[in-house]
Amino acid sequence: MKRLLVPILCFGLLQADPRVDPKEEALVAKRRNYWAFLPPVRTAIPAGQHPIDFLEPAQRPLLDKPHLIRRLTLDLTGLPPTNFEGTYTQAIDRLMASPRYGERWAQKWLDIVRYADTNGFELDAERPHSWRYRDYVIKSFNANKPYNEFLREQIAGDEIHPGNAEALVATGFLRAGPRHVVGGNQDEEQNRQEDLIEMTHAISASFMGMTMNCARCHNHKFDPILQADYYRLQAILASTQFREVQIVDGDAMLATDTRQARHDALIKPIEDEIKNIEKPFREQFRVEKLPTLDKQFRDALDIPKEKRSEDQKRLAKEADRQLSPTWDEVVALIPPDLKAKRAALRQKIHAINMDEPDPAPHAYAAITVDQAQPTHILKVGDPRMKQQEVAAGLPLVLSKDLGNFSSDPRGRRTGLANWLTDSTHPLTARVMVNRIWQFRMGKGIVTTMNDFGALGARPTNLKLLDWLATEFIQSGWNIRHIDRLILTSKAYQQQALQRRRMDADSLRDSVLGVSGMLNLKMYGKPVKTPIEPEIYDIIFTEGEPDNLWPLPKDKSEMYRRTIYVLNRRTIRLPLLMNFDQPDTMSSCPERPTSTHALQGLTMLNSDFMQEQAKAFAARTKGSVERAYQLALGRSPSAAELLQAKDFFSKGGSAEDFALAMFNRNEFIYLP
Amino acid sequence: MNSSISRRNVLRTAGNGFGAIAAEWLLQRDATAAIAPKAKSVIFLFMVGAPSSMDLFDPKPALKKYEGQPLPASFGKVGGQFTDGSNPLLASPWEFKKYGQSGMPVSSLMPNLAECVDDICFVRSFYTESVVHAPAMYQVHTGRVLMGYPSMGSWVTYGLGSATDNLPAYVVMPQPEGTPEGGTPCWGSAFLPAVHQGTLLRPGPSPILHLKPPAGVTPERQRRTIDLIQQMNQIDTAPGDNEMAARIASYELAFKMQTSAPEAVDIAKEPEHIRRMYGIGEKRTQDFGTRCLLARRMVERGVRFVQIYSGGGPVSIQWDAHSHLKANHEKMCGLTDQPVAALLKDLKQRGLLDTTLVIWGSEFGRLPTSESGNGRDHNMHGYTMWFAGGGVKGGQTIGETDEFGLRGVGERYHMRDFHATILHLLGLDQHKLWYLHNGRHEKLTDFGGTPIAKVYT
Repeated sequence: MKRLLVPILCFGLLQADPRVDPKEEALVAKRRNYWAFLPPVRTAIPAGQHPIDFLEPAQRPLLDKPHLIRRLTLDLTGLPPTNFEGTYTQAIDRLMASPRYGERWAQKWLDIVRYADTNGFELDAERPHSWRYRDYVIKSFNANKPYNEFLREQIAGDEIHPGNAEALVATGFLRAGPRHVVGGNQDEEQNRQEDLIEMTHAISASFMGMTMNCARCHNHKFDPILQADYYRLQAILASTQFREVQIVDGDAMLATDTRQARHDALIKPIEDEIKNIEKPFREQFRVEKLPTLDKQFRDALDIPKEKRSEDQKRLAKEADRQLSPTWDEVVALIPPDLKAKRAALRQKIHAINMDEPDPAPHAYAAITVDQAQPTHILKVGDPRMKQQEVAAGLPLVLSKDLGNFSSDPRGRRTGLANWLTDSTHPLTARVMVNRIWQFRMGKGIVTTMNDFGALGARPTNLKLLDWLATEFIQSGWNIRHIDRLILTSKAYQQQALQRRRMDADSLRDSVLGVSGMLNLKMYGKPVKTPIEPEIYDIIFTEGEPDNLWPLPKDKSEMYRRTIYVLNRRTIRLPLLMNFDQPDTMSSCPERPTSTHALQGLTMLNSDFMQEQAKAFAARTKGSVERAYQLALGRSPSAAELLQAKDFFSKGGSAEDFALAMFNRNEFIYLP
Repeated sequence: MNSSISRRNVLRTAGNGFGAIAAEWLLQRDATAAIAPKAKSVIFLFMVGAPSSMDLFDPKPALKKYEGQPLPASFGKVGGQFTDGSNPLLASPWEFKKYGQSGMPVSSLMPNLAECVDDICFVRSFYTESVVHAPAMYQVHTGRVLMGYPSMGSWVTYGLGSATDNLPAYVVMPQPEGTPEGGTPCWGSAFLPAVHQGTLLRPGPSPILHLKPPAGVTPERQRRTIDLIQQMNQIDTAPGDNEMAARIASYELAFKMQTSAPEAVDIAKEPEHIRRMYGIGEKRTQDFGTRCLLARRMVERGVRFVQIYSGGGPVSIQWDAHSHLKANHEKMCGLTDQPVAALLKDLKQRGLLDTTLVIWGSEFGRLPTSESGNGRDHNMHGYTMWFAGGGVKGGQTIGETDEFGLRGVGERYHMRDFHATILHLLGLDQHKLWYLHNGRHEKLTDFGGTPIAKVYT
């Protein structure tokens, strides 16, 4: 299953491969010399030189140390600095050792894999176990897991490490994206195709930097990717199914069941009480509605059940549906006192549900099953328009024998993962070092991080990209090693040409950090934070709209880092959305930065910011010096002291001063 | 000719965070386009849950004739969401009459709208790709059955910018009882910058989220805080730093909006006869009438795209008549008929209809066969939406459905064509309005639609 030797070298050998259609080969052959498909070339670095300083010399003077520490801390942890001691390199070591480093990196990775805690679409249900994947990502970055292993676990952890819970959790990558789950008549083939599309796109965008998705309906218009390549990749996934896999032993499962049964027993009598309240009004609805039904339906109901013909059975069934009220039609009939009682009972249930036991631990996984469904090329991507069948295979342009997959449904993803992490693969390392560079520098060396193809950007410095890629592989795919090389370069430490804005997550976390309210508890189920009534109103439900957003009992949970805040695909938190948090529907390799008035409104007037400003003001005890130190890590200048004095002398409050500190550019932009 | 759009696309891909982009809400003015624009703004009236075309605008006498019988076998397999088309045909409970000089048929459910038919162009043969609400809503709003693509309003404001400094360019007014099934992605900007998202607007003193400072904070006090922020930012900002300048401007806009937005939604200033015309003051039409009147006030003030939902939340407040079609459509038409007609008449009497494209539509239509005996299931194969104003040639019907109203026949129109028509009327070239996202030139119409030329010629 080892793949991709240098393509040019194996040309003669593989020319005769019977699995390869010569017509397909002819389409891609000439394009194999495209820069991104050729192996990276390592430039020699003069002894004693920092490789990046040699390959990408700084253009501007270096930033002074306090500003540099602020930039570094925000970049590595997503929080403003509290410690300015020691040398710059000591600061790098300290920050990389902090658990905040993995959280920050995980947020970046979750953007790329478009992770969210819910399914999306109308019901947008929460996924009770998917957060373990988020925790896996944090832990992996904090442990500096080699990138090749990180990739292999996410693509094929279940196959490569059977019985290993963590590796199973890692396959949550394959199902991190949206999924349409809805009732009614379902087109199973269409649904399956959507799962396959999501998986293929995730793999190609995240790891390959190739826009395979463009070849779903036709051969890629710009890159040598065939429509057949796209479906061969789907065929690799043809034996992969989404499953929630239990990751604790039977005793633990039993204990959970017992706890759940106890909980259900608390709820049941209250539910019965509600049913009893509703019963006469459901009956009343039926009685009042009955005369309005067409005669044929009434007649059908009048016939005793056992004597109804087939047609009468259908009519009676339809009549029953016509006579069944929706919840709001029932509530409308209940008199006020009983309605209040019913509402109170529902509140009681909601209160008890706050203590609902956690479900037994499961991996939100993708696993290999014994049967691979046949895969066809689909005309214009439509599963109803099947064309020829294809076998599992790698993109022909990168793999002349298509990867030589066997027909065994098992091991296909392992084959894919092995190929991607082969040290001769021309893309995997380049794509990842480019992401690390972009994360720290703001712009990628290839500025289209998910597209190294013809329509993507050319590298601004191919020697640099290639040196980093080869170094990455030689270091054992060591992410932190590359990260450190970048951070110690003068290119990183120079003054900014264009300052970068904090992203939405860093902004919220930094506000909490400065106000002193940040709760640094790690891991676990996503937490809900308060939402505005206007946002509550846009939660879709046809059911009773109470308790759609239960807040945690322990209020300190609401001040945890943003990565632990429930990321619900259809309900975006205004502060985060306004500052360009990605919509988690497709891979986001770099967050855009937009500037508009709703940001100012939210940053000034939202309950969250008002609360944070109060807490920050209380923390500073009226000291302008302390406010500057906490928010900006520096003392105010004489002019700024005067400015503050002037503000207070005109009656400005400490809260408003704190609010202004949160809103100023120096807080929101990295130095 | 269309260089401004292309140039902007270049800027966007060249640098997120580019100052000019950041300030676009403020700075971007009407883009010149290859096609002469007929409409400057859009009001999209969306009927959540899907009204039944054959009960409103597309009379089918055959339903009466064959009532209670199954669809002829020649019609083949029919896929609703919950039924398979084998239930008996259900006749329309309503009578149709011809109206206006054009003689367009409208059922007795919409007596007020019937007076406007000479301004309306009905397209009876739209079809879509999903029979489920949310994906179909995504398709009509964003061009795809999947979540994750920018909504039409986002594309339009991205292409044309804003014509107002005081209000968001794209506002959305959902049903107060709840959100449509597709939810927020129906007005989301997806991968376009957040500035292009639809902004929720509601009547009352605080029409926009976070518009007003909390109780106890006076405008003077907020002004003082903003002044302090601006002073701080002056110190922080290097000359020529566009993005910082844009941020400073955005705070001024935020402050201005605090007075302009409440003024824009203050319908108390409207004369009594106008409010009555929209049905404001009557329980049944109060809500939708208010939102229609607000739509007119938004358009007057330069808002580019207004999206209003009739229906949302509990099933009983949607057009989704799986049972009790009669009661449901009588209710929903009662809520909306007078307000929609008033909106058209009011725009017309103010000379605004010429430049305002009004669209009435839904995610799909309903089947000619019955569900639960007296309702109809979803139908994606053929249904009616209509256009008025903004360059539209009124008093005509385009396209047709078969004798039972099941499928479009002859000239059928896909959602791509729907979008292409709207962009065309706005003077936007559907092929040039793109955004490079993950290696693909994403467009509202994807592979491209065909503008329905008969709508405007």
